[in-house]
Amino acid sequence: MLYTAPPLVASAAGDHPGFLSPSGVEIAFLLVGLVTLGAAVITVTTRQLVHAALWLVVALGGLAVEYLLLTAEFIAWVQVLIYVGSIVVLLLFGLMLTRAPIGRSPDADSDNRWVALGVALASAAALVWVVVDAFRTTWIDLDGPAQGSTRVTGAFLFRNWVLPFEALSVLLLAALVGAIVLSRKRDTDTDTGTATDAGTDTPPRPAPTGTPGTTDRPGKGEKR
Amino acid sequence: MPPIPGSGLAKGLAVTLRTMTKKTVTAQYPDTQPELPPRSRGVIGLFEENCTVCMLCARECPDWCIYIDSHKETSPPAAPGGRERSRNVLDRFAIDFSLCMYCGICIEVCPFDALFWSPEFEYAETDIHELTHERDKLREWMWTVPEPPALDPAAEEPKEIAAARKAADKLAAQRAKEQQEQQRQQPEEQPEEQGEKGEKGGNP
Amino acid sequence: MNDVFDVALRLAIVFAVFLVAPLLVGQTEHKVMAHMQGRLGPMYAGGFHGWAQLVADGVKFAQKEDVVPAAADRRVFQLAPAVALLPYLLVLAVIPVGPGDGAVGQVVDAGIFFVLAVMGIGVLGSLMAGWASANKFSLLGGLRTAAQLLSYELPMLLAAASVAMAAGTVSLTGILDAFAWWWLPWQIVGALVFFVAGLAELQRPPFDMPVADSEIIFGAYTEYTGLRFALFLLAEYAGIVILCALTTVLFLGGWHGPFGADGLGWLWTLLKTALLAFVVIWLRVSYPRLREDQLQKLAWTTLVPLALAQIALTGIVKVAIN
Repeated sequence: MLYTAPPLVASAAGDHPGFLSPSGVEIAFLLVGLVTLGAAVITVTTRQLVHAALWLVVALGGLAVEYLLLTAEFIAWVQVLIYVGSIVVLLLFGLMLTRAPIGRSPDADSDNRWVALGVALASAAALVWVVVDAFRTTWIDLDGPAQGSTRVTGAFLFRNWVLPFEALSVLLLAALVGAIVLSRKRDTDTDTGTATDAGTDTPPRPAPTGTPGTTDRPGKGEKR
Repeated sequence: MPPIPGSGLAKGLAVTLRTMTKKTVTAQYPDTQPELPPRSRGVIGLFEENCTVCMLCARECPDWCIYIDSHKETSPPAAPGGRERSRNVLDRFAIDFSLCMYCGICIEVCPFDALFWSPEFEYAETDIHELTHERDKLREWMWTVPEPPALDPAAEEPKEIAAARKAADKLAAQRAKEQQEQQRQQPEEQPEEQGEKGEKGGNP
Repeated sequence: MNDVFDVALRLAIVFAVFLVAPLLVGQTEHKVMAHMQGRLGPMYAGGFHGWAQLVADGVKFAQKEDVVPAAADRRVFQLAPAVALLPYLLVLAVIPVGPGDGAVGQVVDAGIFFVLAVMGIGVLGSLMAGWASANKFSLLGGLRTAAQLLSYELPMLLAAASVAMAAGTVSLTGILDAFAWWWLPWQIVGALVFFVAGLAELQRPPFDMPVADSEIIFGAYTEYTGLRFALFLLAEYAGIVILCALTTVLFLGGWHGPFGADGLGWLWTLLKTALLAFVVIWLRVSYPRLREDQLQKLAWTTLVPLALAQIALTGIVKVAIN
C-alpha cells in the first residue's frame, strides 16, 4: 500500500511547470519509485518465502530513498531502522524458525490472489486519491532549508499532531500488553495441560502438546 | 561476606591484564632450540660396544621395528686342547622410526646398556623408507645422549653401585680375615664389576 | 570542480580508513590476545613481530577457491557478504573525528538514527548467509543472530536516545558540540549499556553465541570460503571500529580532551577509539561465551531497565538544568 504512493506523488509533483524539463532529483525520484514498485510486486508474487522478505527489504529501502529525496531525512532513517532493521529481521526470524525451504514453497500461493489484488488496488486507489487531493500542486523547495529535517519533523509532530501521535502510542502499548497477556496465558494452559496429562509430580515443562506452530515462542520463553 | 556484584568480572579482567604484562612462555622453536631434559624420548642411540646381539630388544619391541643381523665368529681356544670360543658380531642394527612408537621397552630390557634415549628429535625425512636408521646413524646419536640427571637427595643407591659396594665390602672383609693368601681368586670378579659400572656412566 | 575534488578526497580517506583500521584492530587483537594468554602471537609474517600477518591472511583468502554449496541459494549466498560489509562503510563516512565540518566524511542531520539504522542492515547479511547456505548449523547461526539482534537493538537505541536527549539533537556533530566533561558521569550507565549492546550486535565474545564454533561450527559463515569469508571477517572488525568510534563520539566526548590543542582533536578521537577497541579485545580474552538464555536475560532484565533508568535520569537532569 505504502509503496504505490511515491511514484504517484512524483507524478503529482510533475504537474508543476517544471514537468517538461525535470531536474535530476525528479528523475532519480521516478526511477527509485519504479524500482520500489517492482520490488514490491516481486515481494507479493515470488514463490520463495525468504526471497519475498528480502525483496521487501529492497522495497522498504527504496521507500527510504524516496523520503531522502523529499528531504525528509529523519523519516527516512527511522524507516530503515524500524522496518528494515527490526520488522524484516523479525520476519526472517519467524520464517527461519518455522519453515523456509530453499527454492519454491508449494503452499506460497493462495487461491485468494484475485481478491487480494482487488483489495490492494482499492486501498492503493484510496491512498492515491487522498494524497493527490491533499497536496495537489504543492511544491517542495529542494534548495531552501530542509523541510523534513529532524527539528521540523519534531516540531510538527509534537505541536500540530500530538493527539493522534499519543493515541497511536497508546494503541501500540495496548497491543504490547495484549501480546504479553496472551503469551502468559498460554504458558499456564500448557503447564496445567501437561501436568494433568502426564499425571506426574515433576515440574511441568512445555511439552509438545497443543498446536506445534503456536507453542514455539512461549515454549522458548519458558526455557529461558 | 557476600562478594560485591561484578567482582568476579573484574577479577577476570585483572587476570588477563596481569598475564599480558608478564613474560610469555612461547618456545620459539626453530629460532631457539628447546632444552630437553635427559631421557627425553627423542630418538634411540646405540652404544655398539655394549651390544652382545642378545636380540632381547628386537624380540620385546611391540611393533617389531628393530632389525638385527649378526654372525658368529670363533676364536681359537685360549689354552691348547680347549674348546673354541665363539661370540656374536653385530652386522646390522637398524631401527625403523616410522614404526617405532617410542615406548622405550628396548632400552628397558637391554641387559648391557647398549641403548639410550637421546633428546635429538629433528630427523624428519621426506620418504618413509629413509626413516629406517642404520647403526652408524644410531651411533652418531649416541654422542648426543646427555649425562643422566643426578639422583634425588637421600635416594637409594643405583643397583649396580650397591652390588659393587657389597662385593667390595665382602672382599675387604675376606681380605681382613684371610690376609693376602687368596688374593688370586678375587681380582677376577672385581674388574668385571668395575667394567660394568664404567659402561653405565661412560657416555661422553 | 573544487567540490568534486573535496568529495572525492573525503571518500578516498574514508575508504582507506575503512580498509586499514579493521586490519589494525585485527593485528592488535592477534598480539594482545596472545600476550594475555602468555603467548607471542604471529612473529614471522613481514619480519618484525608479524606485522604483516593479516596482509598474508588476505592474500591467502584471495587465492582460495570460491565455493558455493550445490544446495545453496546462489544469489543470496553470494550477495550476503556485501550486505554485511557495506553498511559499515556508510556509517564510517558520518563519524566526526575532529571539530568542525572538515573532519567528517559527510554531515548527516539525523546522525544517530542513520548510524543505528544502517548498522542494523549489516546483520541482514548474516541472516541471508545463514539461510542461503542450506546448512543446519548456518540456519541455527542465522536464527541466533536474529534473536540477538532483536533483543539488543532496543537497549542500544534507548541508550543512544538518552544522549540525544541530553544534547537536544540527533546529529553526531551536534552532540559533540554540546558535550561537556560532566556528561561522562551523567551518561556512564548509558555508555555501558550502549557498548555492551553494541558488542552483542557485533556478535563479539562473550556474546558470540551465533558463531559458537564448538557447537555450530561458525554459524552463518560455516559454508563460506575465500574472499567472501574474508569480507565477513572484515565486516566484523569494521564493526568493532564503528562501535568504538560511535561510543567515543556519543559518550566519551569525541575530540574533546583535557589538552585539546587546536587541530589535535582528531588525536583524542583516535586515542579513545583505540582504547575501546582494546577493551573489546580484552573482554574477548577474559570472559567465556554466554549461553543463549543468559544472553536474552541480560538484554531484557538488565540492559533495557538500565537504559530506561538512564533516560529517566537524563530527563530529570535536563529539566533541572533548564
